[in-house]
Amino acid sequence: MSTQARSDERPTLGHRLRIAGGLFACAVFLFPVAWMVVTSFKMPRDIFTTPPKLFFTPTVDTYIQYFGHAEVMKRMANTVIVAFGSGLVSIVAGAMAGYALARLPIRGAPTIGVIILLSRGVPPIALAVPMFLVARKLGLTDQHITLILAYCTFLIPYVMWLMRGFFLSLPPELEESALLDGCSRFGAFFRIILPISMPGLVSTLIFCVILAWEELLFALVLTNRNATTIPVAIAGIAGDTVNGANWGALTAVGTLTVAPVVVFALAVQKWLIKGIADGAIKG
Amino acid sequence: MASVQTRRGGARGAALRDLAGRWAFMAPAAALLGLTLAYPIFYTIQISFSELNLGTFQPDGFVGWDNYRTVIEDDRFWQALRVTAIYLVAALPLQIVLGFSIAWLINAEWQGRGVVRALFIIPMVVAPVVAGGVWRMILDPLWGLANHLIGLFGLGPVDWLGDPTLAMATVVIIDTWRWTPFVVLIATAAILALPKEVFEAADVDGANWWYKLRWIALPLLMPMIAATFVVRWLGAVKMFDIALAATGGGPGHATAVINLFIYDEAFRSLRFAESSAMAIIVLALTMILTGLFLLGARRLERRY
Repeated sequence: MSTQARSDERPTLGHRLRIAGGLFACAVFLFPVAWMVVTSFKMPRDIFTTPPKLFFTPTVDTYIQYFGHAEVMKRMANTVIVAFGSGLVSIVAGAMAGYALARLPIRGAPTIGVIILLSRGVPPIALAVPMFLVARKLGLTDQHITLILAYCTFLIPYVMWLMRGFFLSLPPELEESALLDGCSRFGAFFRIILPISMPGLVSTLIFCVILAWEELLFALVLTNRNATTIPVAIAGIAGDTVNGANWGALTAVGTLTVAPVVVFALAVQKWLIKGIADGAIKG
Repeated sequence: MASVQTRRGGARGAALRDLAGRWAFMAPAAALLGLTLAYPIFYTIQISFSELNLGTFQPDGFVGWDNYRTVIEDDRFWQALRVTAIYLVAALPLQIVLGFSIAWLINAEWQGRGVVRALFIIPMVVAPVVAGGVWRMILDPLWGLANHLIGLFGLGPVDWLGDPTLAMATVVIIDTWRWTPFVVLIATAAILALPKEVFEAADVDGANWWYKLRWIALPLLMPMIAATFVVRWLGAVKMFDIALAATGGGPGHATAVINLFIYDEAFRSLRFAESSAMAIIVLALTMILTGLFLLGARRLERRY
């Protein structure tokens, strides 16, 4: 109220500077993304120029080239399979465990909380080495399922914690009445709790998909041809010192990778903000 | 007596059923995490005390602390830890301060506030490996935009990724670009939750902005700042993809953070046993420091 009253008196210079500063910060942070998108519409001869060109005839050549590229499309498909696969597995297992943590008094629940938090500190390389060796022994390298299981290591603890918070915010009377009516715990969970938790579940799933989508280390270690994901391809393009920089490929594939995630993230931005903030407070 | 016993028996039955029910909910997650998290850690510990047979890719023969001794005597390992420490000390405070400042800026009340806040989500979901690659392009010494822009002010050209010190600074900048929006989101939630009345009261008392920041906002935000620090710390110790895409750890080993170094040792040099020993050392260090930070955060929370 008072801020409004004050801004009526004097739409102060300070306030205007603050808005301008916010816009400036926003522009600075968005600029690299914009530059990536702009570059992806350039011909190679417009990319390598001094000074860098701001005005040029846009072309979708690079996109056409990579959309038709079987390898790139296969990797895109792999990324979708692995991201949604690991997201779905984690959401089922994590939501059940989160419900147990929220509603069913388990001895040692605080300990479980600490373990979940500490599990986020485990360096992935400490897991990647043994996973690689075991997968190799079992003939499971370069398969989607291996990557899906590997992503569960960081997704499940995340889902457990987010969904625990979500279930705690639901009124306990919901399932209590169902339990009194003779419903089993499982029945109550699957028939009553899950349906009303759909918004939370879907947002958490999207969250998981985003995290799995951009994962690099496990994908590098556990796949080499068949199940390789897009981040591996991008790391290859960015670090290609043999053929030199292929910025057209980098920016076009980069834009293709980022665009769906941006759409997803903006679609659930309210939940995303809440999820991140909650994850920080309680995690 | 009898009735008490039956009641007790019944209670025990119900308790058991309840216990089974609880653990049935925990079972899938526990099984998956046991398989993918606990078991690999134990396997890594086992490998770190063994020789790894590169014919079978299996640990083979107990060698005691040999691998640990090799690692501790390896200067490159210490160099990688030093690089990681420099990165963490530079990047984390920078991101926290920038994040909370920007959050304050973009929460100025005006019509465009929601849009600006939403736009800040975009850099946050750019895959780190894409971020590293695109920044590498922008900072290219020959064709890059960055050198052109500073050239307009008569500066440069700068070899951003070629000089060891500068390359480290560049990696910190890229990481800060990628992760500050994440801090901004948390900080926005924290700032919006600040009680307005306290600030109004301070205004009535004629407090200046520094007083309000130092003695009202900062204490109230302290728990959130501490929590954000812990979350960012847990993410930053795992940093790998940005360094790999932007510099590949170079020039030399100047930006090879510990995860990148261990990755190279394991999967390029195939020194799995030593890598496992390094991974276990890093795991232990991370756990100890995380524990300390958590204690510190709890203390701060109690103090304010």
